[in-house]
Amino acid sequence: MTLLLPTRNVLGLGLLVVALWYAGASQSNGAAYLLCFLVTSVALVSGLHTWANLRGVTVSAETPRPMYAGQAAALPVELMNGARVGRHALALRWKGSAPAVVGEIGPGKAARAELRFTAPGRGEHTVHAVTLASAYPLGFFRARRRIGVARDFIVYPRPEGRPHRGAGASRAAAELRSRAQVEGDDFAGTRAYVLGESQRHIDWRAAARGQPLLIKQFAADAGETVWVEWEQASGEVEARLSQLALWVVEAERTGAPYGLRLPGAEFAPARGDAHFHRCMRTLALYQP
Amino acid sequence: MSRIYSQTAPRQALRWLAGALLFADAPLLGHLALWPPLMFAAAVVVSLRMQTQGQRLRSLLWKLLGFALGGAAVMATYGTIAGLEPGLALLLVLMSLKVLEAHTPRDFHVLVLLGFFLCLTALFFNQGLLICLYVGLVSAMLTATLVRFHRGGDARQPFWPAARTTGMIMLQALPLVVVFFVLFPRVYGGFRMPLAPALTGLTGMPERLAPGTIASVVKSNELAFRANFPDTPVPPASSLYWRAGVMWMGDGLSWSPGPGLPGTWPDERLGGELIRQEIVMQPHGGRWVFALDWPAEAVEKATLEPGRVLRSRSPVYAQRRYTVYSRPESREMLLSAPMRVMSLQLRSQPSERVAALVASWRAAGADDPAVVNAALQFFRRENFRYTLTPGTYGGDALESFLFERRVGFCEHYAAAFATLMRVARIPARVVIGYQGGELNDARFGPYVIVRQADAHAWCEVWLQDRGWERVDPTTVVAPGRISFGAQSFLSSGADSAAGTTGAEGSAGATGLREILREVQLAWDSVSYQWDLRVLNFDEEAQRTFFASLGFEKVGQSALLAWTVIASVALLALLGLLLRRLARAPRDRVQEAWLRFCRRLARHGVRRGEAEGPLDFCARASAALPEQAPAIRAEGERYVAERYGA
Repeated sequence: MTLLLPTRNVLGLGLLVVALWYAGASQSNGAAYLLCFLVTSVALVSGLHTWANLRGVTVSAETPRPMYAGQAAALPVELMNGARVGRHALALRWKGSAPAVVGEIGPGKAARAELRFTAPGRGEHTVHAVTLASAYPLGFFRARRRIGVARDFIVYPRPEGRPHRGAGASRAAAELRSRAQVEGDDFAGTRAYVLGESQRHIDWRAAARGQPLLIKQFAADAGETVWVEWEQASGEVEARLSQLALWVVEAERTGAPYGLRLPGAEFAPARGDAHFHRCMRTLALYQP
Repeated sequence: MSRIYSQTAPRQALRWLAGALLFADAPLLGHLALWPPLMFAAAVVVSLRMQTQGQRLRSLLWKLLGFALGGAAVMATYGTIAGLEPGLALLLVLMSLKVLEAHTPRDFHVLVLLGFFLCLTALFFNQGLLICLYVGLVSAMLTATLVRFHRGGDARQPFWPAARTTGMIMLQALPLVVVFFVLFPRVYGGFRMPLAPALTGLTGMPERLAPGTIASVVKSNELAFRANFPDTPVPPASSLYWRAGVMWMGDGLSWSPGPGLPGTWPDERLGGELIRQEIVMQPHGGRWVFALDWPAEAVEKATLEPGRVLRSRSPVYAQRRYTVYSRPESREMLLSAPMRVMSLQLRSQPSERVAALVASWRAAGADDPAVVNAALQFFRRENFRYTLTPGTYGGDALESFLFERRVGFCEHYAAAFATLMRVARIPARVVIGYQGGELNDARFGPYVIVRQADAHAWCEVWLQDRGWERVDPTTVVAPGRISFGAQSFLSSGADSAAGTTGAEGSAGATGLREILREVQLAWDSVSYQWDLRVLNFDEEAQRTFFASLGFEKVGQSALLAWTVIASVALLALLGLLLRRLARAPRDRVQEAWLRFCRRLARHGVRRGEAEGPLDFCARASAALPEQAPAIRAEGERYVAERYGA
């Protein structure tokens, strides 16, 4: 339901209209009366146009990319103009976000915008509704519509803390290895592809031959697993989670397979986006 | 596609605002002192430059200094800060400062509203059709500026889309304007602070009659008033004597209205033919209310004074429309004692020559009419000349005029004649007003245009059994002035010896001038209709309008209520109209499919959320075997239309 309300500019307009009326009445000035009527009519009609500016506009929000607590994040939104005329100066905002303004959407066209906000604390959150508003064309009225969105998103704990112990030696070795990975392929056999893993090293030739999907393993893959464990971290629950998150991020970056062990959850060592997000998600949703 | 809207004003919107403000400022150049509008224009241009470089006037000290300087300049120019013109000049000073320091979106709105206020100030001084159209144009420009501002986008956009939106808004606002115009109650009086221009430099009827006062008024071709005759045909110009004021106190060639008559004077009802005039009078700052000789009764907002002149209750600062009834055939017969005394008094003793002259007339024909005739004969015989520039008269003005120089304009003749009558003990008075007028027969019906050039002075004498009768000495000295009107008289050459007719004046006009004149008259008739029907749609006109529709006695508050109701209704109608325009194009195929699915649902087969059309039809056919062919056909038709080529 579109709500139409006057803006603060209406105060100045009211003053002007009263002055015009006063001039017309005290001077019996017919032209001043006419100008008063014109200004009033134009302002009132513009209210209708402002209200009509929101008609036919549909908003759909997408799930935001996973984010870390306290990080600047964005909610991607798509606006569709289903009307036969263009829509202008549409402002979107979500309760915790800064407004995003879309200047113009042609008839039948769509536009994308991002509602920027700071990620709240870790865990699962919901975007319930997004407000669409516009003061186009004259700015004397503002039309507002609340659009239910119901999108859930995950906020991972903010990675903080000290580097993983034993990282000194293995980090240098890891850097050597990652460099080696880039330079040369030290092929070391294949293993079965697990659903959700990175598809970068799939053996396509084998797949073309009719074999199931296989991952080519490289020298670095064998060995050097890192275990990220609850007990290794210290401090409060949140601090520990942040620490664990930092180690997971590190491990993913170095390329070593890593496993996560939490009270109540354990993940076998692996690498790749799917494993990473699985671990971070567990950390985000962890309830002691 | 989408463009992101910045929080600062788009550069193009600033340029449009500057242009609109300059246009709004322009009409003030003629009415205020030169420097306030020019200063404002300069401030607009300078601030545009500054804005595009991201600067503005920040320091409070400079603002206060600017205001103090401006105030001092206004004081120096006008001598005061009270009054309309000084107030407007001060307002322009404030607006210049505001323009220089504006930087937020709210400031932008404020400047647009100030632009509208500038348009209003232009309307204080002139409300003709032309300036109203101009103000309409400037209003459109200001609206377009706001539209452009809200469209956002720093890049330069084509001018047409914003103009189109503005045009649509204004077009849709017009019916609402008409509703307001017809229904909104017009109030009068009771305003303690009327805004009115000082109207300096306005030509018009002089307060007192002296050599040269009428002549200086005649030099201007400005409009004095327009009159149309709704019931009767327009009388010939030579018989149109428009009464403005009466001079009771005289001293040779200088006359003045006098202190006014004591007590009440007998209000005599006149008889004879009644002529109704509808007059639209231009503002002149005085209390004159013009009417054809002789006004039968008082008109709205004016009283009927001794001497049968109408006098407005308040100074006329705005155009005024009124209806007056006149009886040109009748005469005022009664002469009360105070009036007789007033009409006979002489400020100074007449000189010997004058007394002797008058005595000679008395001796020749003993009764008053004979004396009047003798005086007229004197002016006709003795080689008097009628000219706009008779030169100045010094101390013995009357003697010098009558016996030596014998050259003058209507004021000289009227004053001299009235003095002579008083010396002869005949009650006499000088009347000033207008004589004649230009008949405009164009489009909207005949009416008379009376200009300042038609200003005139004549006499009235009271004769036994004949009452107050008009005697115009100009008819004997320059008959061409009366029979052909001031325009042709003046264009043919002001100087004329007694007896010439001056008919050659209008015949000399070339073809081009004729065409120009036609165009001018056509425009004037449109302008007159504007003045008459739109500008002066006052309380009386509103009442008459509703009475003609059959609504007697509509009160002010009732009108206000109706205004609100009608405007709300009109807005609702407009809203519905806009809704229709905004509706998304209908997807008939989808609508038909959904109807089909609903029908099947009523028969118990409900389509699943993500079930495809063919699957659904197959399932429905299985559930309702009798309708299977029809269901399948419908499904295939939908698929073909939706996904087909």
